[in-house]
Parts: sequence; structure tokens; C-alpha cells
Amino acid sequence: MSLLETVDVKVKFGGNVALNDVSISVEAGSVTGLIGPNGAGKTTLFNTITGLQPLTSGKIVFNGKDVTKEPPHKRTRMGLARTFQRLELFTSLSVRDNVRVAGEIRNRWSFRTTRMDVNAETDRIIKLVGLADVADREVGEIPTGQARVVELARALMIQPTLLLLDEPASGQTEEETEQFGELLKDLARNDGLGICLVEHDMALVMKVCETIHVLDFGTMISSGSADFVRNDPTVIDAYLGSPESVG
Amino acid sequence: MQTFLQYTILGLAIGGSYFIAASGLVVTYTTSGIFNFAQGAIAMLAVFTYWQFRWGWNWPAPLALLMVLGVLAPLLGAALYQVVMKNLRGTSEVTKIIVPIGVMLGFQALATWVWNPTSSTPRQFQKFFGPNAFVHFGSIKVSWHEIIAFVIAIAIAVGIRLLFVRTRSGVAMRAVVDDPELLQLNGGRPERLAMISWAGGSFLAALAGILIQPMIGSAMSAGQLTLLVIDAFAAAMFGRLRSLPRTLAGALVIGLTTTYVIAYFPSKWTWSSSFRNSLPMIFLFIVLIVLPQDRLRGATVLRLRERFRMPSIRTAWIAGLVLMVVVFCLKVIMERTAVNTLTLALTFAIIALSLVLLTGFAGEINLAALSFGAIAVIVVYHFGTTGSGADARTTLWGILLAAVVTALVGAVIALPALRLRGLYLALATMAFGVFVSRMVLTERNERDIFGVKFTIFTAGQLSIPKPKIGPFDFNSPDAFLFLCAGLFAIIGIGMVYLRHSGYGRRLAAMKDSPAASATLGMSVVRLKLSIFMMSAAIAGIGGVMMAAQIGTVNSDRFDILLSLSLMMITVVGGIGYISGALFAGIFLIAFVQMLDLTLKKFAVDYSSLEAIFLFFVSVVTVLPATIGITMGKNPSGAVSDIVAGLDQIKQSKPLVITLVGLEAAIWALAATDVITNWNFVILTMINLFIVPVIGGKVLLARAMRGVPKPVPPELIGIDRPFTFDDLAEMDRALDLEGVVVPSAGTVREGATGVSA
Repeated sequence: MSLLETVDVKVKFGGNVALNDVSISVEAGSVTGLIGPNGAGKTTLFNTITGLQPLTSGKIVFNGKDVTKEPPHKRTRMGLARTFQRLELFTSLSVRDNVRVAGEIRNRWSFRTTRMDVNAETDRIIKLVGLADVADREVGEIPTGQARVVELARALMIQPTLLLLDEPASGQTEEETEQFGELLKDLARNDGLGICLVEHDMALVMKVCETIHVLDFGTMISSGSADFVRNDPTVIDAYLGSPESVG
Repeated sequence: MQTFLQYTILGLAIGGSYFIAASGLVVTYTTSGIFNFAQGAIAMLAVFTYWQFRWGWNWPAPLALLMVLGVLAPLLGAALYQVVMKNLRGTSEVTKIIVPIGVMLGFQALATWVWNPTSSTPRQFQKFFGPNAFVHFGSIKVSWHEIIAFVIAIAIAVGIRLLFVRTRSGVAMRAVVDDPELLQLNGGRPERLAMISWAGGSFLAALAGILIQPMIGSAMSAGQLTLLVIDAFAAAMFGRLRSLPRTLAGALVIGLTTTYVIAYFPSKWTWSSSFRNSLPMIFLFIVLIVLPQDRLRGATVLRLRERFRMPSIRTAWIAGLVLMVVVFCLKVIMERTAVNTLTLALTFAIIALSLVLLTGFAGEINLAALSFGAIAVIVVYHFGTTGSGADARTTLWGILLAAVVTALVGAVIALPALRLRGLYLALATMAFGVFVSRMVLTERNERDIFGVKFTIFTAGQLSIPKPKIGPFDFNSPDAFLFLCAGLFAIIGIGMVYLRHSGYGRRLAAMKDSPAASATLGMSVVRLKLSIFMMSAAIAGIGGVMMAAQIGTVNSDRFDILLSLSLMMITVVGGIGYISGALFAGIFLIAFVQMLDLTLKKFAVDYSSLEAIFLFFVSVVTVLPATIGITMGKNPSGAVSDIVAGLDQIKQSKPLVITLVGLEAAIWALAATDVITNWNFVILTMINLFIVPVIGGKVLLARAMRGVPKPVPPELIGIDRPFTFDDLAEMDRALDLEGVVVPSAGTVREGATGVSA
């Protein structure tokens, strides 16, 4: 059984079909990539999985349970966390407090026995993702690349089993991206997290993802290992445009 | 049957007028994304202007109509958009709500200024074709005016519908609010379209006002008219500010039910008239509760201009102490009436704290702070006092009970807040405020409630004695002044503690990004409920203190317009700061009153210039609203600017010493009665506000002279052959250390880079 499955998810905005019967799955302990040109519906799919976007039809199964009707916060409490492509940081708080408040929120809903020492965990996570240098700065002041890492740190604070990352590496330098890829692999391999990664940096995607799903205009056009997807003619067409349509 | 038909037609006509006003709201909201709180005020201005032309100057009706509806109203709407509303793109929801409210309050003050309500002859406003123009249908007679009102409403419904769906500019208008930039790329002109729609919205408001005024059959009153068209808000909400057919249905339902209440409620029910007046508000509240939930909104905060920094707990304690010392120093030099004004200002500052907590910390909005104060005052009046006559005192238990009751009422009002945000919540609280004004504070008859005889608002005024807490009697004005100052300081410091706690951080999270909070597993229900209750309780306590300071309060003290002014001025002061609340209290009560009294005194002293000074007295009444309207330009508030200015001069010892020394000298002069109270205040203002600004400018200019401007890295140029050190320097400047750049056949490494 997969950690997460979307079953024939369809979303329509008026007459516009944003997602057309998309079925993907994410396994625990591995990194799954979700790629596609701009406007393919990747973020919309994330929004349906986290419950921010209602479905027109289809269902979302998480941990073997149908969560299609659950509100966002209930899904999170089952172990689902995400980051946002358009940053959703708490701008009145410092970097450290952004991470800390996530732990405080988690302690409010977790069982008494699983509550964490928020301060210690905050320090650990900040060090883990490499934010120690900027921890006491205002979150609005740091560069976008690092702000995305704050989003990751915040998501990690709730100790999720599934992590959805929406373009986490854009705005990062090459070196930062390198470290970031290693971190993702570690989280999947050592902590057993299921990670779903939306990313335009193909080098990163090809390096860390075991399975890759490709979306184009709301439809899943390919799915498989990095090598398979890389050589799939439909994918190449989607990214480069097919010869017929160009001619 | 005859009654039924008669009242049905009246109901349809009134409902039709509501719809005309509501459709104006929908049009402006659709194209500019701004809810025009001033819609009622525009209608009111139109009614007064029309009266002036038609009956004041005896113009013929068509000419007066053409002038008001065809020229003045559209011009006013267009000007409003160009001068004020255009600046509101990209500001926070609170600012978008506050600025139109500022316009509304400004118009209100303006109308009272131009058309003095206490003038000798009451202004009569007649129906079209005079009061006796009827058509007879069998046994019933209907006035032409009512027929015109209903027909125009239907015509406008059809007209706007066609405009939006069938015409190119109508479609473009709808596109403006979705994505102005995209529309611009497609050749549309969003700014112009929005301006046109504001002209149209203003026209519709004016039309509605002129139609509705003679149908309610009372003398013209600026306040009543402004609020009357607020009833149209409920209709607009029926259509969720989008659907015109549903808006029409809502307006007609409201029009009909309100007239049926008059027709069919037994006349011995003394509350029917209050009930009729509050019905639209009850509708509004219910509609807001059953409205489908908003989708969770992501943060736009990063792009907003508002920024609030919370002071540390230590700073808060110091500020609290400074406040107490300053209040003491003021008390020493001030005459009795001035001390009373200061105390009253502090009680309003306490009420404003409730707004800082709710809006500044949690991002929720309450437009009816004083209504919570009214509830608390009623509780204290009935259950919270001991003794009688001069020995009467408010008890601690009375104050606590009032706080608990207001908190519970706050919880009920928060029901819509649990699912709604921003504008909708603001409207729900406003509905509550108007409801309290129209239904609760008008309750002067004895009621038999479950066998208990009870009068809510006895004789139209309630006496609240000064409190006595344990052994401490706060009956003397000085003691009460210190109680209020202390209360403000304690609540303020408590709020800073709260903001630095996990609870405060969760509030900030909820405010900054509801979407991110939800995806971290936060359920906002308890958080919102608790903050709303806490805020209501603070407003309640402030209200009780306000009433105790005044002694005997009537319902005007809790007017919704006063609540709106307080909210607006708190935003001006800085809604995220404790000091913003203090600013609001001082400005709204003490400063305005001081200006008013000073100018009136001058008018008496220099009678040859009386007209000029009295003119400025009127200007002062418009002043708060004018300042509120400028919020679009400076959304972080005035106090933060002043503080930023003070921060700058803190680095210069001479300037600080000058400031403090000057202030001490001014104080000493006042303490020895060399200068009067008012002169003291004016000199202090000059010293505190103007000297830092000038000093800061001088300091800044001096600082800038010595320091060369930093050169951006991409402009670093060297006019000799590059050396290895230059390259290293450039790498550092451009942050390229370790980056490998291929160039002209060789591989250049960053100076500290590893080998390729």
C-alpha cells in the first residue's frame, strides 16, 4: 500500500480543466518527483492533496484512509506536511519563531505522550537544514532561497510522514541545491519519510527521485523511473513542443 | 387585504431603493475590490444637496435631479476613486476597510457642518410630484413616488445585468478585479474602468437616497441617512457582492419584512419600531453566518507595506513606568477639566487596546468596540454597584462580571468570525453594533422577562459610579486617573507578554498565513474564539471606565460612528502597537477637544476674527476622518514614524539632552503657572514632534556628508589592468567565491576556489 494515492483527481475552474483524472502515488522512504511545464497543474494537485482546493471528482487516499472530505488541518494531523511555492511565511515572526511556532502548533494537537521539547527540536531542525546563521533575523529580510528552507524547516517540525515540497530549490545557489538534495535523500532513507517534490531543476529531480510523474495541461503523460521519463518521447514533446505542432 | 396590498407596495418600493444602493456597492466592489462603506454617506450628501437645490433655492425638480444625479454624484464617485481608493491596491484588508470608513465619517462631519442640524426650520423632503400625487387602483391608492422607485429598481437590475454580460466594457469591468494586469495586457484600462464604476456606484447611491428619504417620512438627519443605506449592505450580502438577481431578491425581502412589521405587529409591542429598524442588521448577521466558507487565503503579507515590530518585555515595562510618571507630571500642572479629559482619553485608549489585540495581533476585525462597552455598562449598572447617592461605588465583582458577560457576547459575535475573515467579519461586527444601538440601547420600557421586571436602558441614561476595589476607593478624580493609566499600562504589558508567548506566536501565524497555519495542523476555532472573547472583555472594561469617568451616559456614547472613528484612529496610530491605542485615545478625545476649545476661546478673545476661528472649529470635526483617509499612503501608522524619528535622535546625546531639558523647562513653567495648560500642550507638541524631525534631518544630513555612498558591486570599475587581487575583490563583492567561470579558453577560478 502506498503512503499517498490520488485516484482520478479532477479539478475544474469553470470550464477550465486544471487536473484531469490524475492518479499518482508516493511511497514511504522514497522521493517522488512531480514535474511538468508551468501551468501543468502541479501546485493545484498539491492543493487538493492538502485540502486547500476542493475536488470536482476523484479521491485522495492517505495512509490507507480516504481523506477527500477532511479539512486541511485534520490531514496534517495524520502526518501530511507541505511547503508553498509562493512563500507563506509568518512575516511578523523571526526565522527561529517561524520554526518554533510550528512545533507549538503541533504540541497543541498531538497526543500528550508524543509532545516534543519545542526549543530543543527547533534548534535541531534549524541546524539540520542549515539556517543557524540567519535564525534570529526577520523572515522578510532573508533571501528567497533561504526563505524556502524556512518553509521546509517549519514543515519538518510537525514530524510528518509525508512531505510535499513545492519548488523548494528555486532561488537557491548551486551549492545550496547540492546540500538540499543530500538532505532530502537522508530524510527519505534514514527517517523513512515519503517526499513528493515539485521542481524545475531537472538535475536535482533526476538525482534524488526514484519515481517521477509528469503532468502536462492537467493530464499525467508519463510516470516511471528517472531514466524512463527522461527518454519518454511524450515528455520530450511536452517540454520541447512536438515537431508537428511547431510545423 | 387593503392593508396588505398597501404595505406590499410600500415594501417593494423601499426594497427597490435598497437594491439600487446595493447594486452600487456590487458594481464598485466588482471592479475595484473595495467595499464602499461610504455608500450611505454619498446617498446622504445627495439627499441634502438635492434638498438645497429643490427646496432651499426652489429649483425645478428636473434641473435639481440633473445636477445631483447627472453631474455631482458621478463626479464625486470618480474623484473618490482617483484621489483616495486608487492608492489602496496592495494594502491590507484592514486598510481597505478603514479608508472608506474615513470617507464616510468625513462626509458625515461635512454634512453636519454645511447643514447645521440644530437650525431653526426642520428640512422637509417631499415625494416626487408632491405628497398628494396618487394613483388609484380600485380601493387602494399608491403614490407615484413608490411606483417610480420600484420601476427604476427593476430597470436598473436589467440594465446592469445587460451591461455586465452583453457589453465589452461590462465584461472588462468584471475582469478588473480578477486580474488588472492581465486586462491591461489585453488592451483594457483597469484604472479607467474602476473610475467609471465608482462614478456609477455613486450615482446609484444618490438615486437610492433621493428615493428613500421621503418614504421613511421623517426629518432629514445625516446620521440616520448614512446608516439607513447601510441596510443595503444586507441586500448586497444576499448576493455575496456578486449576484445581482440575488441582491434584488434580498433587498425586496428586507423591504417587505420591515414594512410588514410595522403593519402587523400589535401596537402594544413597544419594541416593534426598534425591531423594524434592526431587522436589516439581523438579516445581515444571519446571511453572514450561513454564507459558504471562504477558501483559505494564502498570505499576501510579504507584498504588503505594513510591518509591526513587537517591543521586548523589558521595553514594555519601562514604557509602562514612563507612562505613569508622565501622567503624574501632567496631573500636577493641569487644571481639573483637563485632568478629566485626560482620564477620558485613557479610558478610550483602553478600549482601543481591544482593537490592537484583535486586529493588530490576530488579524480579525471588530467595528463595534463601543457596543461591547455598552453591554458591559448595562451589566455594571444592574448588577455591579453598591451603595447609593454619593456613596455609590462600582464593585470589583461588577467589573469582572461585566468582563465575563461581554466575553460571552463576544463569543456569539465571533461565530461568523470562525469561518469568515476581513470584510465579512467587519460587516458582521458592524451589524452587531447597529443592532445594539437600535434595539438594545433604545430599550427604555420595563419588560417582564420570565417573570422578572427589568428595564435594560433605564430612562435613556445610566449612572455608573466610580469603582472601589478592596480598600482602594477611586472616587477622587486623581485616584481614578491613576487607575485608568495603571489599567492601560497593565493590560498593555500583559498584551506584550501574550505576544511573546506561544499563544501570541500562534495568533501571528493565523494572521500572517491562514493557509500555512492550516497545513501545520492548526484549528483556528478555539484560537479565534478566545481572542475575540479576550478583546471583547477589554473593550467592556474600557467601556465601564469610560462611563464611570463621565458619570451618566446616554446611548449616544456608544454610537457605531464613534466605534468606527476609534478603529480608524487606532489604525492611524498603528494597529499593531500598544502605543497606537494610546495615540487613538489621546487624539480622539484630548487632542480634538483641545483644538476645539482653544479655537473657540480664540474666537471669543479675538471677536473680529471669529468667523475664521469658527471655520477652523468645523475643520477640526472633519480632521480625524481626513487623517484616516490618508492611511492609504502610510499603512504602518503614524506612531511608528514618530518612534522611528526618535530612534534616530537617540544616537545623538546633545539632541536627547536638549529635548528632555526643553521639556522639563516647559513643565516647570506650567507648574509655576507662568504658562497655561493649553500653551504647555502646544509647546510640548512642538518640542516632541517638530524638534526631533528637524534634528533628525540635520543629523542625517551631517552623517551623509562624511560617508561615501556604497557602490553597487556591478558598478565597481578599475582603470588599470586587472590583477589577481582585483579579481578576488570582485568575487567577494559579487558573492562568486568558489564559482567556476569558463572564459576564453582558460578556466578562471574564484580566488579562493578549489582547482577545477
